[in-house]
Parts: sequence; structure tokens; C-alpha cells
Amino acid sequence: MIHDFRLTRPLAALAILLAAGAANAAVQNYTLDAAKSTLEFGFVQAGAQNKGRFPKVAVNFGFADDSLAASHLEVTVDIAALDTGDKERDDTLREPDLFDVAKFPQARFAATQITKTATGTYEASGSLVLRGVTRALRVPFTLKSATEQGKPVLYMTGKTLIRRLDFGVGQGDWKSTEWVGNEVTITFNLRLIAAA
Amino acid sequence: MQVRNTIARWGSVAQFLHWLIVALIITQVILALRAEELHGMAKLAMLARHKSVGITILMLAVVRLVWRLINPTPPLPLTLKPYERFLANVTHAALYLLIFALPITGWIMSSARGFPVSWFNQFQLPDLVTKNRQLYETMLDTHEALAWTLGAVALLHLVAALKHHFVLKDTVLRRMLPFSKIP
Repeated sequence: MIHDFRLTRPLAALAILLAAGAANAAVQNYTLDAAKSTLEFGFVQAGAQNKGRFPKVAVNFGFADDSLAASHLEVTVDIAALDTGDKERDDTLREPDLFDVAKFPQARFAATQITKTATGTYEASGSLVLRGVTRALRVPFTLKSATEQGKPVLYMTGKTLIRRLDFGVGQGDWKSTEWVGNEVTITFNLRLIAAA
Repeated sequence: MQVRNTIARWGSVAQFLHWLIVALIITQVILALRAEELHGMAKLAMLARHKSVGITILMLAVVRLVWRLINPTPPLPLTLKPYERFLANVTHAALYLLIFALPITGWIMSSARGFPVSWFNQFQLPDLVTKNRQLYETMLDTHEALAWTLGAVALLHLVAALKHHFVLKDTVLRRMLPFSKIP
């Protein structure tokens, strides 16, 4: 019996450790590979499709496919770093009547729930804070996992649509949607690397 | 009035195209000058109109050239001296060239700047070149130089037309005017 006891105690300890480990390991944290990721926005300007990008983005993603309730996603965007490929336009976008980056340098999306659809894609629903205005937003996305250089990697791709005027991006003249459309598409293609 | 050209005068289609393009070119100058004074949304709107009108001119230029090629051209008066005949031909060729070159350089300029062209918000035109700041600057200078050239050539054209009418007293101006009688 003593023999058995000596054996069962470490086994029990191991089981407890494993259980605890499983709970922790269930949600894997990922960090953004900024160099291989894009967050872009598309808009209609004077009847033509235009686009820009947000090169400075921070992503906090904790994910486990079998534990979506414990998974989380937060995205913080440095609005002032926006780039539409045209300095004059970028400066205009930073002005108080548009993004007002002096007052609202960042936008933030935080998911309160991540769900999986029947087709295997995902949807993060939560809220987007942009120019000081908070609005509910659903962001559908797909995940593709891979192992690259021995590390688990996730490719997160998706697209959502917001209306700039819902967030007050467009005061004064810019409230008009005649020359700059209200609808803005947000597309993202993120490479996320499993944190150690 | 005749729809098609005859050897005595321009038909109604040729006249309509001529005068419509004149009106649109004047509109272009006004829109461009106003855009330069503005900024923000107002500038955006003014330039969008300038681009739309420019594309309209380009489309009309195509129609006009085709119409000219499939119609008789009223000849220049036989009394013209060889250098006058040469000057008239060069002026007309330059005007045709410019109503193509100005919209096209404007279109390239927009594409190079990364601001695609739309025709009155109805449809978007394809980009002629990929984004290139250097090319944009070059096209901006070219577009402006061509605009001044058009101004100069059009002035010469106008002076010549008035000379034909008031000095030479021939039908050269009247054959491009609607409602004018040609004996």
C-alpha cells in the first residue's frame, strides 16, 4: 500500500498540474507580426474607390478553438499614423473635422464575444471606440493556422463595414456624403504568432 | 440647316460639337482656377467637377474627330497665302491634339496621384498608370503648360476667324455659326 501511495501521490499531483495547465494552455496568446499584416480602409471619394491603411496597430488575441468563451480580441489602432498615400489628404483626415487625432489619437475594438459559424468562420462582436464614440460592431473573420519556423501561426482575415458619420468622422462640410461616402470598408489581413 | 458638312459650310453636328467644346473648355478654366483657391471638401468637389468635364471633352473629342473624318471638310479660301494656309492647318491640328492631350494628361495626373477619376459620380474610370508622385508632378506641369498652349492657340484661332469675317469678308467664320446665311 505504501508502494501504491508513493506512486499515486505524484500521479495525482501530475493530474492536477495537467488540469491546471490545460486551463491555461486552452487559450493561446498571439502577438501581431506587424510587418506581414495589413489593416486597410476603403472609401468612395468623388465617385471613385480609394483606400488607405493603418500601419500602426496593436492586437491582443487570446484564442482557443474549443474555448471560445475564454478567447478574447482587442485591437488598438493608431489613427494619427493613417496613410492614404497622399500627404495632403492624410493631413486633412487628421484635422478636427475628420479624425481629430489631437483629441482622439486611437481607435479601439474590443470583442465581448467570439462565435464560430456553421461554415467554420468566426465572428467577433463587441464595440468600436472611434473619435470618442462607442458603437457596437460585428467583425466576421476567418482563421488559418500554420506552423512556420516551428511556431504556431494564425492568419486572421476579414472585412467589416462602418459608417463614418456614426462616429462623427465628418463635421461641418464633411458631414455631406456627396463627395466622401459614408460607408467605409475595413479589411484586415493579420499574421499572428503564438506567444511563448 | 444640314446635319452633315458640305463643302460650303459646317453642318449642325460639327457646329454643335465645336461650340459645346468651347463652352466646356471655358468651364474647365473657371473650375481649375476656383479649385486652386479652395481647400478641403470644396476643393475636392471643384476638382471632381473639373475631371468630369474633362472626360466629357475627351469623349466629345473622339466623336468630333470621327465626325470630321466621315464628313466633307469645307476647304480654306483659295485666296490664302501659303504661310497662312500652313498656319491655319497647324492651328487646327494643334487644337484637335490639345482637346485630346489635356484630358489625357489630366487623367494620367489623377491616376499618378492616386485619386481615380469618376465621371459625375456615375462610373469610375480605370487608372492609366500606377501611383507615382514624380510622374504626378511632371503631368501637373505638362497639363498646365498645355492649358496655356491651348489658350494661345485658341486666341490665334479666334483672331484669324475675326480677320476672315471683318477684314477678308469671306464665309470662314459664318460657316461655323448657326443661323447665319451663306450665299
